[in-house]
Amino acid sequence: MDDLLADFVAETREMLEASEGEIIAWEADPADRARIDTIFRFVHTVKGNCGFFDFPRLAALSHAAEDALADCRSERREADSALVSAVLAIIDRIAHMADAIEAGEEFLEGGDEELIAALAPGSEPAITAPDIVADDLSETAHESAPENSASKTEAAPDSASTAAAPAVKRPDNTIVAQRSIRLPVDLLDRVMSGVSDMVLARNDLAHRLRQAGTQPTIDGPFERLTTILADVRDAITRMRMQRIETLFSALPRLVRDLSADLGKQVMVDLEGGDVELDREMIETIRDPITHIIRNAIDHGMETPSERLANGKREIALLSISARQSGNTISIVLSDDGRGLDETRILEKAIATGLVPESKRAEMSREKILQLIFEPGFSTAEAVSNVSGRGVGLDVVRENLEKVGGSIKVTSTPGIGTLFTMRIPLTLSIIAGLTVESDGQRFAIPQSYVEEIIHSSSKALDFTHVGETALVTFRGNRVPCLLLSDVLDLAAGPEGRIAESESTMVMLRLASGDLFALAVDNIHSHGDVVVKPLAPAVMKSGLYAGSTLLDDGQPVLLLDVTNVAARYGLVSDARGRVLKSSEEGETATDTDTCRAMLFTDFNGRRSAVRLELVQRIETAPVSAIDRSGTAPRAIIDGAILPLIGISEGQLPEEKIRLLRLTDGTCELLHAVRDIDDAAELTNPLKPVDDDPMVEAVTLVEGKTIALIDGHEFFARYGEAPTDISKPICRLPETDWARTILGPLVKSAGYDIAAGPQKTADPASSTAASQTDTKRADIAIWFEEDYEAALALEMNFDTPVIRLREVPEAASKETIYRYDRDALVHALKEARMNGGRRT
Amino acid sequence: MNDLLVMAQIAGRRCAFPAHDVSSVIEVGTITPVPRAPDHISGITAMRSQALTVIECRRAIGFDPSQWSLDHRAIVVGVADYSYALRVDAIEDITTAMGEPGQVPGGFGPEWSRVAAGLIETRAGPALLINLPALIEEREGFGAAA
Repeated sequence: MDDLLADFVAETREMLEASEGEIIAWEADPADRARIDTIFRFVHTVKGNCGFFDFPRLAALSHAAEDALADCRSERREADSALVSAVLAIIDRIAHMADAIEAGEEFLEGGDEELIAALAPGSEPAITAPDIVADDLSETAHESAPENSASKTEAAPDSASTAAAPAVKRPDNTIVAQRSIRLPVDLLDRVMSGVSDMVLARNDLAHRLRQAGTQPTIDGPFERLTTILADVRDAITRMRMQRIETLFSALPRLVRDLSADLGKQVMVDLEGGDVELDREMIETIRDPITHIIRNAIDHGMETPSERLANGKREIALLSISARQSGNTISIVLSDDGRGLDETRILEKAIATGLVPESKRAEMSREKILQLIFEPGFSTAEAVSNVSGRGVGLDVVRENLEKVGGSIKVTSTPGIGTLFTMRIPLTLSIIAGLTVESDGQRFAIPQSYVEEIIHSSSKALDFTHVGETALVTFRGNRVPCLLLSDVLDLAAGPEGRIAESESTMVMLRLASGDLFALAVDNIHSHGDVVVKPLAPAVMKSGLYAGSTLLDDGQPVLLLDVTNVAARYGLVSDARGRVLKSSEEGETATDTDTCRAMLFTDFNGRRSAVRLELVQRIETAPVSAIDRSGTAPRAIIDGAILPLIGISEGQLPEEKIRLLRLTDGTCELLHAVRDIDDAAELTNPLKPVDDDPMVEAVTLVEGKTIALIDGHEFFARYGEAPTDISKPICRLPETDWARTILGPLVKSAGYDIAAGPQKTADPASSTAASQTDTKRADIAIWFEEDYEAALALEMNFDTPVIRLREVPEAASKETIYRYDRDALVHALKEARMNGGRRT
Repeated sequence: MNDLLVMAQIAGRRCAFPAHDVSSVIEVGTITPVPRAPDHISGITAMRSQALTVIECRRAIGFDPSQWSLDHRAIVVGVADYSYALRVDAIEDITTAMGEPGQVPGGFGPEWSRVAAGLIETRAGPALLINLPALIEEREGFGAAA
């Protein structure tokens, strides 16, 4: 009997969880029959089971709710929010009673009658004979009771048939539950780690078998063992996983209750419910998420009237989305409320001594916002019953960090706040790639790996721009990190194999950013069992865990996302809130402009509108060419005008450049220091005396000159000279194709395809005419050139002449293996834009 | 107080670990170094299918390990759900504590005080009782590479 009782409680709980979301959805659309049917089915089943177990109070409650819902189903009654609330109250009471039954306690007497009374339609005149209906239903319910306890899936058709209205459609069986049992998580963990160890033992055995050579009598059964183990592991993996939906389904109810309590209107938007997560992890993030939602609704969102006054829609939007990215799950909670008030946060932090007064000016907005996660921080002026109970966001952060997660916040005043939680999947078996660098092996989660390219492959085009190494991958330049640099491996530059010998692992981050990781060797890929690392090791931020190789040797698993973030390779994905604020006409402060703050070489603090900034470049000083009247610099193979710097101000080695664009033109602005991106919230005061300055404004109490983008591009802007690469024509020999070609390419030229045509108009066809026009420079062998000269050919492109021997016969030719001279000649030709004759 | 203690020599001094915290003593196999980890962490090593973080105790306390011999075994301890393998000069014996850990006026010296839980009298003589969490924690201000 006890078992049956436990089953009853478990089943009731499961159905409760399943129907929570349904109820809210139903409230939003009372006409939705499928929802009513689901909820009806729930109370109906409870009622049936109660009769079985003799719980008169539960039976009375569920019976009453069932009656009310039956009225809705047969269209004798409209579902309104009062009814929803009443039904919810009853479902809550049922849940509490189920808890009490499980604990073996008596539930407190009384209160049921009020709940049942609340169900009564307030001003519904249409009800004629509720008693009869109730009798009808209770009869059928009794009939179906034994079946219900046998299998709840059968309850669906059964209850559908009890409905009197012919219009009722057979609902989709949304809660066709599989047979399930409940297990303590401890047991699951034990099985899980047991299987992990089995995998390791198998790997070890496989290793030894390989050493021993082929032994057909053993290999066969071993293969079988491997297959079985793979299956078991798969099943175990799924055993621990749960859709995050189980967490999400409770949220609409939470939001509804909170917003009703606080007199706010909130719409909740859930996304990514199918993301699967370790069961344990779901429990860990339940409280943090609840807490943030509470905060958002209580503090973040304005009342409907305030919202209207601010030009927002009166219904606030709270969106929660989950995404799996490699071995982390990111959960983004965003609201379109009033945003965080950084001044108040800073004041509070100074008042509580979190931040010393002296540091006030140094704090960037980004940093200030993160203060809300510090212990003992709460800006709420009044402690309401919803949030601000002394348990703050510090606990949220602590809990997340305990499981290796993190949280950060971004916020735009008046637009909204966005919390990004990152939690590890910590599922202990993942597919991994083993790589080697400087004699040590590391594992990389396979999910990040896009492709593996040996860097001797021509397509890779390994180059350095500034300090950044770049490779070309499918036509895009992609930043490249050397694993030995990232990890500061001991071998040093001399012990290292050449870059051109290394292997590139192309890694795709969850944000979509791509980068290359150069390693010495690739070893193997296969499933690895991830073991946690001690906190002191995790602190380095480079590793996600450790794993054991086949031979039992431990290796470290790299934390790809963190490594990329450390090198600034992750683009900030904060588009969601901005996007949704564009959809609703909520953008109140259209004239707040975001700007990049910098200090120019005259020491003046300036700002440029962020929209104009394409990129921040760091270039070697040698990239700057001051030979012409206006200084220029070469960035990524394009020659761009350079402003903001005068003679004698050049720094020693490298220079920071803002690459500005107006869409077509580009120019570079040299800066001494880049401060931060900031919002220009203070009024802009136009300036008349300096045409290059649009206005001055205050940022953090200091004046900033805002650069006049229009004037800048009008004066200096020009389209980059090589939107398409210049073309170089080569002699048609194998030597030119295989040896000269790559060199010319690396100098930034495209190579003209097809045979070399003479520019002789008489012999040229129409096709070759256009071909001829397109070439910007040609390389000729000296003897061919002389022959062509003798034929009085017209050279309409500049020509670089190559000689076969190192000794110079004339100064105008270049020895064909004199790389420097060749590159120089090509560069010069390019700077002159083909104007040389 | 008859707690069992695992006795070891660390940097030439006799130290004691509560046997309750020690799960085993193992032969150290291959140690995989961990680049960019604090320098008192020698690396990780495998014990059965578990990964252990190897702590060089002498360096963790603040001494140069090259001055002392190194036991080929390591003491495996569990601290806050993680397992560590502690490298010491020599692992001596298991003995019984005689009394509660006490303090010595003037402390144990700057390096030792940080990791000491107190002075403990044992059957084998007085020893410094090690405070494991403090030992494993990264020293601050010693320029540990992190």
